[in-house]
Amino acid sequence: MSAANEGRAPLLAINGLRVKVAGQEVLKGVSLTVRAGEVHAIMGPNGSGKSTLAHVLAGRPGYDIVGGGVEFEGRDLLSLAPEQRARAGLFLGFQYPVEIAGVNNAYLLKAAINAARRERGQSELDAFEFLSLVRAKIKLMQIDESFLGRGVNEGFSGGEKKRNEILQMLVLEPKLALLDETDSGLDIDALKVVADGINSLRSSERAIVLVTHYQRMLEHVVPDQVHVLARGRIVRSGDRTLALELERRGYDWISAPAAA
Amino acid sequence: MATHSTTAGSATLERIERDYEAVAAQLPDAALARPLREQAARELRRLGWPKVTDEQWRYANLRAFDTVPGFRPSLPASARTSAAAAPPDLPPALPGFTRMLYIDGLRQGGALGSEPGGLEHWPPEQRLGLLGDMFASDTATLKIRGDARIELLFFNSEAATASYPRLQLQLEPSSELQLVERHLGAAPQAALVCPTAMIRLAAQSRLTHYRLQQCGPQTVFTDTLSAHLAEGAHYRVRQIALGAASARTSAHIRLQGRGAATSWQSIAVGRHQQVQDTALKVEHLAPDTQTEEVFRGIAEERARIAFNGHIHIAASAPGSDSRQSLRGLIEGDGAEIDLRPRLQIDTDAVRAQHGATTGALDDNLMFYLLARGIDRATARALLKWAFLGDVLRAIELPDVRRAAEHGAAGQLPDAAVIGALT
Repeated sequence: MSAANEGRAPLLAINGLRVKVAGQEVLKGVSLTVRAGEVHAIMGPNGSGKSTLAHVLAGRPGYDIVGGGVEFEGRDLLSLAPEQRARAGLFLGFQYPVEIAGVNNAYLLKAAINAARRERGQSELDAFEFLSLVRAKIKLMQIDESFLGRGVNEGFSGGEKKRNEILQMLVLEPKLALLDETDSGLDIDALKVVADGINSLRSSERAIVLVTHYQRMLEHVVPDQVHVLARGRIVRSGDRTLALELERRGYDWISAPAAA
Repeated sequence: MATHSTTAGSATLERIERDYEAVAAQLPDAALARPLREQAARELRRLGWPKVTDEQWRYANLRAFDTVPGFRPSLPASARTSAAAAPPDLPPALPGFTRMLYIDGLRQGGALGSEPGGLEHWPPEQRLGLLGDMFASDTATLKIRGDARIELLFFNSEAATASYPRLQLQLEPSSELQLVERHLGAAPQAALVCPTAMIRLAAQSRLTHYRLQQCGPQTVFTDTLSAHLAEGAHYRVRQIALGAASARTSAHIRLQGRGAATSWQSIAVGRHQQVQDTALKVEHLAPDTQTEEVFRGIAEERARIAFNGHIHIAASAPGSDSRQSLRGLIEGDGAEIDLRPRLQIDTDAVRAQHGATTGALDDNLMFYLLARGIDRATARALLKWAFLGDVLRAIELPDVRRAAEHGAAGQLPDAAVIGALT
């Protein structure tokens, strides 16, 4: 955390969050504070609860919140419906983006951005404004423009789906981007494009939380803080050198019960 | 085989016979000769009125026939002098298509069907096709050589209580026809629309048949179709069922020649208390024949939608390939969807895939859209639209696709949202 940031009010404050899935406690008291301008990485072995945390924050149904709370810009995040969270400025980049044949990307993007603009009291974009905005972002993500007329993620490769997630993020300009395993399934070139997209969103007004298993994304998107989630708790936090250490030593040394 | 009792539904059959006796002498021989009509009437009497206890009629809304005020069709003389026969506001003509307009079952602007029609042998499950034989007041008889594009527009005016659009179509070898068959209705009151189509496709001929059913809200629509395909013939159907209080399509496609192929893609959208029921039977009778069957149905409010897809691959049809995908979406608390895939295979070395699913909207898709800030109503509308997309996007002709999309969008409660998509 930069010293200059410490005095700022948190964008996201997770306090002792406990979550059950199908009767099983998956998150057992997670606490985390994220301020605008910061990039955090949440790492951990498979099954540690990383994706659960991302989905709970975005409001996916099917999770039972049994303790703790989450504030987003001082508001009770968990009391908001998923669409309200998105319009408030929270973006979830999906690990497995769904395919929706029959709804094209342009329509989805336009509906999403205008929902956000209405929330902010701004006028909706007309077709011309929308296209000029989207074209610039498409170029940055190295996506062919014909994609706008195609169904959402329809027939996309894994890498194309992830690029599309980042494109949506760039168009929506969220205050907080939660990127769930965005690096999985990407080859080196695609990883670079996706990382450039993420870096272009970095600003003192926004924050990014990267959920990842490997540290290779962190070579391109350098985090301010790294947290290790294991068995439903954050068991260690540090700077980016923690990610390098995990890469070298694996997760066993840190996630075994004795380390907790 | 048991004799068919006429006790159940006999009142309906009696009404039909009474109306037939009263009008028989006035029905034009040019549409169908009197002896053939009599033959059809005898056959219907022999078979009896269908019963819901019969598997083939389980989902049909036979009680809807009680709402039909009478079975007599408009006759040529009365229709020409009737004010109701004046052309109403009709959709614009399709570019490149020859339009044939029928009002209340009668051809407007010139006689057609110079050759009187013949009889189809309707099997018991298609017995309501006999009504068309008995009562038809006009027959569209089309023989196609070379390439053609024809639009058959059947319009039911407020004056009609019953109409029997009748199509007898023959494609000569290697010919190709794009046919748009559209049923529109203005009548707010109960009426019967009872089309019959008898189709023969000669070797290597190709028919693409677009069928849009947008009848009035009180209409009882009973549609019976039979198609015979010779070697290498190809029959594609794109059917959009939207209108009527109660609609049934009963179709029987026979793939008789080697390499004959059919592709039936259809959607049905029902709301209020509509019933949309399709019974489709495809018979593979020759080697290397192919079927593709896609159905997407949405039942809103208290609507009931059924699709009974029976594919029979006979012992004479090795090397056949059939694919069937039936999906239903239940959107209303009182809505019902019944999908019945049935695959009957009497030979080895065939490929067959079939699947049928009915349910609500996919939660994962829903969450994805919500997580982008899209409100719930819009997300629902988008996903319903996407659900119908498989079939709508397969309509190759842009004008027909747009008409189908507008019709389908208008049938969903979320029309305002979907309007932006079409």
